[in-house]
Amino acid sequence: MNESKVLEIRNLTKDYGSKGFSTTVLKGIDLSVCRGDFIAIMGPSGSGKTTLLNILSTIDRPTMGSVILDGKEITQIRNRELSKLRRDKIGFVFQDYNLLDTMTLQDNIALPLALNGVSGKECMERSGELARQFGLADHLKKYPYQLSGGQKQRGAACRALVTEPEIVFADEPTGALDSRSSRDLLECLKGVNDSGQATILMVTHDAYSASYAKDVYILNDGLIQCRISRGRDRKEFYDRIIDMQASLGGDFS
Amino acid sequence: MSMTRLALQNFKASARNYLSLVISLAFTILIFFNFQCVIDSDAFDVLGEKSRQNMDISIQAITVVLICFMAFFIWYSTNVFLTRRKREIGIYVFMGLTNQKIGQLYMMETSLIGLSALALGLGLGMMTSQLFQMILVRLSDLAVEIRFHINPGPVLRVTAIYLSVYFVFVIKGYVNIVRSSVLELVSAGRKNEFVRQPTGLLTVKAVLGAGILSAGYYLALKEGGMEVMNNVLAAVVLVIIGVYLLFGGMIPLLVQGMARQKYFLYRKERTLWVNNIIFRMKRNYRTYAMVTVLMLCSVTALAMGFAMKNRYTEIEHFRATWQYQVLGLKDGLDGDLHGIIEEDNEIVCSSEIPLLVFGENMVETVYTYSSYGALSWSAVRDLAGEAGLEFTIPEPGDDEVVNVTQLPLMSLSTEKSGITVTIDGRDYRQTEETSVPYLGVLQEHISFYMVNDRVYESMRSLGSEAYLYNYRIADPDTFAAGADKLKGLREARPDLYQGCTFANPTVSDMEWIKVLYSICIFMFMVFVLASGSILFMRLYNDAFEDRARYRGLYKIGVDRRVLRRAVAHELLFTYAGPFLVMAVSSWFSVHALGKVMSTDLLIVNIISVLVILVFYVGCYFISLPFYRKNAGIE
Repeated sequence: MNESKVLEIRNLTKDYGSKGFSTTVLKGIDLSVCRGDFIAIMGPSGSGKTTLLNILSTIDRPTMGSVILDGKEITQIRNRELSKLRRDKIGFVFQDYNLLDTMTLQDNIALPLALNGVSGKECMERSGELARQFGLADHLKKYPYQLSGGQKQRGAACRALVTEPEIVFADEPTGALDSRSSRDLLECLKGVNDSGQATILMVTHDAYSASYAKDVYILNDGLIQCRISRGRDRKEFYDRIIDMQASLGGDFS
Repeated sequence: MSMTRLALQNFKASARNYLSLVISLAFTILIFFNFQCVIDSDAFDVLGEKSRQNMDISIQAITVVLICFMAFFIWYSTNVFLTRRKREIGIYVFMGLTNQKIGQLYMMETSLIGLSALALGLGLGMMTSQLFQMILVRLSDLAVEIRFHINPGPVLRVTAIYLSVYFVFVIKGYVNIVRSSVLELVSAGRKNEFVRQPTGLLTVKAVLGAGILSAGYYLALKEGGMEVMNNVLAAVVLVIIGVYLLFGGMIPLLVQGMARQKYFLYRKERTLWVNNIIFRMKRNYRTYAMVTVLMLCSVTALAMGFAMKNRYTEIEHFRATWQYQVLGLKDGLDGDLHGIIEEDNEIVCSSEIPLLVFGENMVETVYTYSSYGALSWSAVRDLAGEAGLEFTIPEPGDDEVVNVTQLPLMSLSTEKSGITVTIDGRDYRQTEETSVPYLGVLQEHISFYMVNDRVYESMRSLGSEAYLYNYRIADPDTFAAGADKLKGLREARPDLYQGCTFANPTVSDMEWIKVLYSICIFMFMVFVLASGSILFMRLYNDAFEDRARYRGLYKIGVDRRVLRRAVAHELLFTYAGPFLVMAVSSWFSVHALGKVMSTDLLIVNIISVLVILVFYVGCYFISLPFYRKNAGIE
């Protein structure tokens, strides 16, 4: 595994509300993500998962602490640069796909490349190749309304990966999928991660989804409570995650 | 909760959403009401009975156009309302409401919208009717004082016509809901299947559209005899259908073709706006077509106004050539007539010409006049020289004639030459038609054929010969005195004088054209404003749909500037598409109108298109910030 750090979080704190009435959601988080990692962050409702992901994906700013992405302190840079950073360095997969219903799957996947000014030929090649890896080669000409939820989410994953970002943030990617579609998507994500194509940080409440990651961090009460690493067997890893959930208690949905 | 309360509550909750519909309907009612007020107003009585009658007929014709326009607007807004409500009312199915009940709910809500629009339209109409008439009077150059006065007539007529049209469409919507399956109602909200249309269907529409539009253009340009009016009417219908098919077939086909060329499509934000246009095309093409037709109507209305004004000026000039015309039975009467006229007025110019008047059935031609006559070429040439009138007609051959005729307001025929005229069984070819007023107002009563001197000599036996004495006077105010004396002379000496014709310079039965001219300018502004507002409203509503899409794009790192550029392109297409189709089509429609009115209207055409261009550029720049705000990218 390449140990070069893609993302480094130091003492990340986030308060909401005004002085005297503020709530601390993140209470000093430290986390490092290296190239080739596949990390799942789990935690009960209100543990700060979404806040953490919003800060990492530059949609929200922390109260204190630093986030270094690809060697750059992202909490300090201006909005315009943030857009560029999001576009070039980060890929996103959302629970509700966020595919544009106005264009075909291929246009959706190629969109970030086209907007970056990549040539039409390269857009076609890269979107086609990813679609093939994600089992969508036959669906490229279809519109989102013609696709199943699983196909849409795999399409969204292709779109996130097409610019070859430093890191992909996935926010509950299986939240709206049935078990079969979830498995297909996770297998695909695992595939691109294993082949070194992507570093993934996934937020999920689902132990089954988390078991596809290499490391699982359990977030509780604004702090990372523990880290569980996968051994050889995914099933055994899943059992350990479930045990950890049980021991921590709380609502993980 | 009772159905009425539910309907009221829905109406209140969604009032803001439907404000644009209410305002657009109220706007049409306002215009309609104002025109109705003109019909009932006594302000235009100053025009004289004949002019007033003609003006009322013209306004009635405009009323028919306005009713069609209103019907279209109602159809459009009730349709928008039905589509939007269908999504929400689908939910009522789960509450156990029957289709009939849901239909009733729809009817109540739509009626509330219709009635609010009526109240608003009539209210604003009453407030603006005086202003409208004042503008009309001022534009028409009439000296009348307008009083504020509301007649019940226009209110009742507008209410009756509007409500009957409105309820036809409301009932249509009710039937539509009652006949819808439960599944249709429930899934209406999720329907998102108007993305790409089948290429085969589009190709058929495109080919059909191109054919129909070309046929329309061809008919508009085609020269012809009496069938010209039919051709022009057919051209109007064909161009309207053609424009619909163009936006429903050809343009989507082209844009879809563009989207298939990925090398072309994947160029920065182009992929966003081209796909957005395709997505919207199926639903919006009727709007684009309607806007194009509206603009086309506006340009044609303006051209019509200018053409009328031109003709009015020309006819006035035509009639001002000779004020007194006396038809004598022999020559050499000029001295006596001169003396009588000069008792009251100074003669600026006079002339004398021999002519032949044919008996009934002597002349056969395609155009029927009440009487026919003949003139000799050299006599007309001499008269033109004396009167300072233009004369460039070459001497006709032995079998040729030149028609010396009136200057009509509009001509049903555009064919001026090649017509065969049969005089006493002998065929002559009409080589030309002239409306230079050599014989002044007499040309409005008798259609003359100018022939060469030899033929004229040979025709002398066919008709009765007379001598026409023409006089132009210096002071129009003393016209009446001279006219009375000449009338007296004619009655006293029927053995010398056959008849008199007078053109009173102080009274005109053509004043109504000036009012029509201002109405045409007004219609131009109304139609242009309406077309711009329709596009603006469409975009205003569409922008809300984009909100979720753009939020998603922003999250994945798409810069707001990229989205702004994409929006700018999309809006440009929305305004430029209908504008360009209109600009091309207007050339044909204005050209056809120019032919019927025998006036060159190219400059009016260019200016009106430029005015619309400026207005549309304005609309575009106003729409941009609204669209961006509604789409959440500002």
